[in-house]
Amino acid sequence: MSLSTGVAPEKPFAEKIPANPLARRFLPLLVACLLAIVVLLILYIGLGTVSLSPGEVIAALVNQPVETFHRQIVWDLRFPRGLVAILVGAMLGLAGAILQTITRNPLASPDLTGVSAGAVLASVLGIAFIPPLAAGGPALPFVALAGGVVVGATVYFLSRQGRSDPLRLALNGILLGAILNSGSSIVLIFDQERAANIVLWLIGSLNGRVWSHFNTLWPWALVGIPLALGCAGLANTLNLGDDVATGLGQNVERARAGLFFIAVLLASSAVAIVGAIGFIGLIGPHISRRLVGDDARRLLPMSAVVTALLLLLSDFIVQAITKGSLPVGAITALLGAPFFLYLIFRRVKA
Amino acid sequence: MAAENVRVGYGEKIILSELSLEIRRGEITALVGPNGSGKSTLLKGMARLLKLHSGTVFLEGEELTKMANSEIARRLAVLPQAPTAPAGLTVGELVEQGRYPHAGPMRMLRKQDHEAIGRALELTGTLEFANRPLENLSGGERQRAWIALTLAQATPVLFLDEPTTFLDIGHQLEVLELVGQLNREQGMTIVMVLHDLNQAAQYAHRMVVLRKGSIVADGAPAEVMTGEVLEKVFNIKAHIVTDPASGRPVFLPYAVVKNEEVGRGQ
Repeated sequence: MSLSTGVAPEKPFAEKIPANPLARRFLPLLVACLLAIVVLLILYIGLGTVSLSPGEVIAALVNQPVETFHRQIVWDLRFPRGLVAILVGAMLGLAGAILQTITRNPLASPDLTGVSAGAVLASVLGIAFIPPLAAGGPALPFVALAGGVVVGATVYFLSRQGRSDPLRLALNGILLGAILNSGSSIVLIFDQERAANIVLWLIGSLNGRVWSHFNTLWPWALVGIPLALGCAGLANTLNLGDDVATGLGQNVERARAGLFFIAVLLASSAVAIVGAIGFIGLIGPHISRRLVGDDARRLLPMSAVVTALLLLLSDFIVQAITKGSLPVGAITALLGAPFFLYLIFRRVKA
Repeated sequence: MAAENVRVGYGEKIILSELSLEIRRGEITALVGPNGSGKSTLLKGMARLLKLHSGTVFLEGEELTKMANSEIARRLAVLPQAPTAPAGLTVGELVEQGRYPHAGPMRMLRKQDHEAIGRALELTGTLEFANRPLENLSGGERQRAWIALTLAQATPVLFLDEPTTFLDIGHQLEVLELVGQLNREQGMTIVMVLHDLNQAAQYAHRMVVLRKGSIVADGAPAEVMTGEVLEKVFNIKAHIVTDPASGRPVFLPYAVVKNEEVGRGQ
């Protein structure tokens, strides 16, 4: 390192680049959100008909001696439900952030591109007509994925004709989603036996989610999340437009198709477990964008964490206010729809 | 770099057919011509942004279609017309992406990448606002940031498609001065589509004039900027004078050629 040649070297260009404040605050923010998730999870587990103090929750979680009944509530019911919420939130947030980046459309998200509706209809059909596909079973995400891919791709290609307009993608997605959801409702009429369950799915609910659901979900997260985070650089180049991305050596069509598939995989497997929880995949990435900027290398991980926190918080609110009688999808829609309108009005004004 | 018998267009619509052009190393070549003449199409075809229907483009003797896309990106950088980025992206983040074709395993930026990024920012004078989001920049600053992106690619050849569009005259000259400087000091081979003939004549070593998909004039500005070419290609009558400072030709248009006039032989 100290091989001095006697000539003072010019200051390297690299050292002249000012540090990026957005990058500097990324890690602290990420850690803060992760901590917030842990704290919220403890409060969340304590919440319910039998309420537990944070101390009791922690004691039960780390297998300290507690009442058997408490341990059962924590381990068999509330903890797995909380974990499902966190995982689903992360997957939907990541899917939304990827879709927004590769379509260069701030209104893209799993629900607004029809992916969720497609996954729901495929799942509902699967459960109604293929008896072995019990809700939450390990095969269901595959069926949901097929539905998500078909519908998502349809909406994408419909919206690409002519000049691409962000609103057009959302409109097509909402329209096709509405048609598909009515399809799901028809199945529901013919299948009264499971009707209540299917309705909850159209809205999206975490009620009764236990370890079996978590066990179906985590392998998909384990594959999808690292894959998505690893493709952040790719997503960044696509965000500069097709010509620039090609100029940077990207095979644009293939890269976009690959990232699209990863996003649909994340969203569909999440939807197969909890149903079409709306708007969360739209809001999470937008909040994250405000926090850490547009660079996908920070936006993607931040979206996963923020959306996980958001979904856990939504379910917390549902539990606290309605004692769990409302599905969490109802409250995300209640909070999310005005936000969606705000995004549209802001666009129209600009 | 050369194009041989290329046929390019949008979808089924062919804009250029059987066109050949050789780009000389170390020169600034300006592609000029009226709207719809195919100048941008030629640039895009040579830079593989448009697929060729037939013909071949060679980059340093190699066929472009037989090279990996990332290999091309290490030798040829291209800035399309009016590019757009996410509004909140900062200049530094934009320029970093120029290193994508060079990235190593895990796509992590290495020492030489940061060096190239810093150099690109310095050369374009964008170092001071590296942390500003693109939306907060003036048109000229933003265009310099985009050029910095292509410079971070560290290629010997740079293609620019109308780099001065939507800029006011001061910012136009700022961008063209930068192009001239990159050519002089870094020895870059530059091909650019320009709308303004006087600017092309002032900054380019060679002007290639296109009309309706064919090359109608090709040479040094003094050879190409003639009354005859202007009349034939742009339907204008103009005085051609020589800028005493640069020795380059400048045209002053004074009339439009009307078709009847041509017919009456006036």
